Amino acid sequence: MRLSEMGMQRLRRISSGLIVLGLGVEIISLLWFHPLAFALFAFVATALIAAGILVFLASLAFVAEAAQTGASTRRDTGST
Amino acid sequence: MFGPTGILIALIVLTMIVAVFFLVRPAVTASPREKILAFIALFILPVLCVGGGMSTHMQRSEQTRFCISCHAMAPYGRSLHVDNPSYIPAAHFQNHRVPADAACYACHADYTIYGPLKDKLQGITRIYTQYVGTPPKTIHVPGGYSNLQCLRCHAGARSFEENPVHMAIMDSLKSNQMSCISSGCHDTVHNVADLDHVKFWGPGQ
Repeated sequence: MRLSEMGMQRLRRISSGLIVLGLGVEIISLLWFHPLAFALFAFVATALIAAGILVFLASLAFVAEAAQTGASTRRDTGST
Repeated sequence: MFGPTGILIALIVLTMIVAVFFLVRPAVTASPREKILAFIALFILPVLCVGGGMSTHMQRSEQTRFCISCHAMAPYGRSLHVDNPSYIPAAHFQNHRVPADAACYACHADYTIYGPLKDKLQGITRIYTQYVGTPPKTIHVPGGYSNLQCLRCHAGARSFEENPVHMAIMDSLKSNQMSCISSGCHDTVHNVADLDHVKFWGPGQ
């Protein structure tokens, strides 16, 4: 359980980092008026933010899995 | 800077601040309220920022100054100021027959980076050619310039429909069998090779 929490936190940290980085790139692309800014936004910023969101969703799955594992452990050891 | 882009940048900065909070303290998701905040900060707000950014970039790519900010397109931008009414793009631009701030887009909607998905991909391919590949010396519209671009505005216009030359070849024009610009009729287009020998016009002159 403890290990799961640590994994969750790590995933959340990675997710936040990717999103912050992607948003930073998006700001640069918005301040730069050039066709390359479009490519920067479409390929770099969007990819970083999408990766961040996916990692966050993966961390939520981690929470659900950890909760399920915890519940089944309690059921096996406690209430019988 | 201000206006929709300013609001979008403010939203992005706000999202960054909240996301940095979860970067520094990822364990703060114990209570349901914190979980909701994490969901908003790491899912809802980033999705909004990407959507807003996409919309802003799409609107921006319609602008004349966006197109001519590319080095290869600069002479085409200059050709809009030629002081000669036989230059079709210059005559349209200077007389506001097309919106001056979206002049390229108005006549090349299927060519610019903005438009259907196929055209966006073509625009990306041009960026690649410009910066990674070898740009061509002369830029051509793929497949030739379609009459449909002209007819989008001119079809149904009295001056166009009642012109005896147009009336005689109307079917060929509408079926794109005879090009408006290469048939010896309206064949002076951007002519960027001759720009060093022509007079220019600017507003207020």
